[in-house]
Amino acid sequence: MKALTSAEMKSFLKSLTGEYDVRAPVRLEDGTRALGHLDEGRLAIEGGPIARKPNDIFFPQFDVILNAKGNKFKVADSLQKPLFVIGFTAEDCECLEFVDKFYSENFRDEIYFAKRDKAVIAAVSGKCGKDGEMLKIAGGKCDLEFIYDGSKYIVCAYTLKGKKIEEKIKCEEKSAKIDELKKLSDSIHNEDLEILKKAGELIRKNAVPDDFWKEIANRCISCTACNIACPTCTCFDVCDHDRERVIERIRMWDSCQLDGFMREASGHNPLGEEYLRARRRIHHKLAADYERWGHITCFLCGRCDDVCPTNIGIKSVNREIVKRFG
Amino acid sequence: MIKSKNEAIVSQNYVPTNCEILSITTLTPSEKLFKIKMPNGKELGHMPGQFVQVSIPGLTEAPISVASSPTRKGYFELAVRNAGTLTGALHKLDEGDYLGIRGPFGSCFDIEAMKGKNLLLISGGCGLAPMRSLIQYCEDNIDEFENVKILYGAKNPEQMLFKDEIRQWEESRHFNCLYTVDEIKSGDNYKGKVGLITKLIPPLNIDKNNTIAVIIGPPVMYKFVIAELMKKGINEEQIIVSLERYMRCGIGKCGHCVIEHKYCCIDGPVFWLKDVMELKGAL
Ligand SMILES: Cc1cc2nc3c(=O)[nH]c(=O)nc-3n(C[C@H](O)[C@H](O)[C@H](O)COP(=O)(O)OP(=O)(O)OC[C@H]3O[C@@H](n4cnc5c(N)ncnc54)[C@H](O)[C@@H]3O)c2cc1C
Ligand code: SF4
Ligand code: SF4
Ligand code: FES
Repeated sequence: MKALTSAEMKSFLKSLTGEYDVRAPVRLEDGTRALGHLDEGRLAIEGGPIARKPNDIFFPQFDVILNAKGNKFKVADSLQKPLFVIGFTAEDCECLEFVDKFYSENFRDEIYFAKRDKAVIAAVSGKCGKDGEMLKIAGGKCDLEFIYDGSKYIVCAYTLKGKKIEEKIKCEEKSAKIDELKKLSDSIHNEDLEILKKAGELIRKNAVPDDFWKEIANRCISCTACNIACPTCTCFDVCDHDRERVIERIRMWDSCQLDGFMREASGHNPLGEEYLRARRRIHHKLAADYERWGHITCFLCGRCDDVCPTNIGIKSVNREIVKRFG
Repeated sequence: MIKSKNEAIVSQNYVPTNCEILSITTLTPSEKLFKIKMPNGKELGHMPGQFVQVSIPGLTEAPISVASSPTRKGYFELAVRNAGTLTGALHKLDEGDYLGIRGPFGSCFDIEAMKGKNLLLISGGCGLAPMRSLIQYCEDNIDEFENVKILYGAKNPEQMLFKDEIRQWEESRHFNCLYTVDEIKSGDNYKGKVGLITKLIPPLNIDKNNTIAVIIGPPVMYKFVIAELMKKGINEEQIIVSLERYMRCGIGKCGHCVIEHKYCCIDGPVFWLKDVMELKGAL
């Protein structure tokens, strides 16, 4: 099998920059670990999920989708080179798979796919979480994966795009213990997943009363961080910016936790009460999307629990639901 | 599909088509009717019930129902209420000006299911705009439907839309047309009924086995009208509603129009009542 040490990883990623627009976890000057270009900071592959959702590369917080000169709009230029993005966790890959499906269904969103279609996604897993903690192996749902065994990143390619990259790696590792790592990955017990499924069932059975959502709403400060951090939250608003004779039409992330999210010109507001918005954040992923897509659309990446200032991220709310109504 | 400079294939999903305004009619102090044509003699290609996203560079977009029937060729019409930034700017446009159009989007009235049936077309306020598309369609294909009843309610005589056409529908032997206003003030030159639209339903003679009712109006209207219809023996499988929601994209991506698991912009705005009556917050 092919494998890379941390030092080899760095020069390998550099070697890709001619052909690809490479994005990798880097430590920025201010100490933040984020997806960036290689020259933006020291490479920081290890450390678990990146705070910001990695699929924001394909639908960024602000995305110029159209330009207008006079009154004629045209699609804004997209990236010149295909993206190579390393740093997805197994959970991030599941989120990406869903968002790909979401953007291709009904109307195929070509603004998204102009960036996504040619992109190569590399997952990172194995013993490279925070403090060497074992990260679940994705085993697919990405183009290729780098599985850290404690000293080297073992390379597994899953798609043609991934194999093309794998071929460029010269270093062989004969003693790679991939099966052992897989076993270790499979043995990661995920209690949260059981709780998520159970909470979903309870919500879909209507066993969770409005009074519960009122309690959650009382604890929410509508900061929107949960939505903004979530890799499967896709809602956006649209605004036009006037930049000296060129008008840019921009789409930007929006949040169902805001009072004005659904308010209509008439004043009618179907999400006009706080508890309805608290319910929507969780109901949408566990019940509405379940009905529409056939599965829950939270993949337990952990971000909303990490960012919520009042400790009502989805995992913690699910726990309460199961404890009280299960 | 068009090809961009860098050869990446990009589509026209979000790109509006510039369309010329042929004429503008003032309907009420706050509503105007825009007659619009697509470029190069193309048709919009809509069905009654669908909407378009109207766009002005610098002011984003708003969803507006098509108010004319596809059977009227060479143009389409939009009845627009001045409700804010974009619609306010539309009201300042002139004949010969251009506006951006994306669409048509959304579901349409189930014409196939309506064929051979009595129709009860109930609209309130601005809801007459999308209903007019269906009414014109019925007018142009009158043999396909049995008796067509039109019920319309407005706040006051001044706010009644399409007054001239209502008069024509009243006189037409194809339609029964009834209208009412919530209130009148002294000095109004108005001879019609006064009272809520729900009052028009009890006296009607409705064949409950062969009727389809369509309701479009402000949010408060639905529950009360549905209750009156149910008293007449019309059930949720015979009622069609068109729902309005805040919309930003029109193509199922922005998430603003979501009602539980339904997207109002692609699954709706037109729904059979049975498909939405159990959804929290739908009606
Ligand atoms: C399917 C559909 C069909 C419609 N058909 C018609 C029609 O035929 N004629 C007509 O006059 N109006 C129609 N509307 C309503 C119309 O879209 C709104 O009045 C318009 O979007 C207001 O935009 P604005 O920029 O002028 O107002 P703004 O200045 O943007 O906003 C004023 C208020 O309107 C709300 N609002 C903004 N954008 C929207 C939006 N996209 N949808 C709903 N509320 C919004 C804002 O929250 C704010 O409270 C329809 C709406 C929908 C969803
Ligand atoms: S854990 Fe939270 S942030 Fe992550 S996918 Fe689930 S809802 Fe979204
Ligand atoms: S992060 Fe927590 S406090 Fe902030 S909007 Fe979400 S649930 Fe509310
Ligand atoms: S209007 Fe954007 S999802 Fe319906």
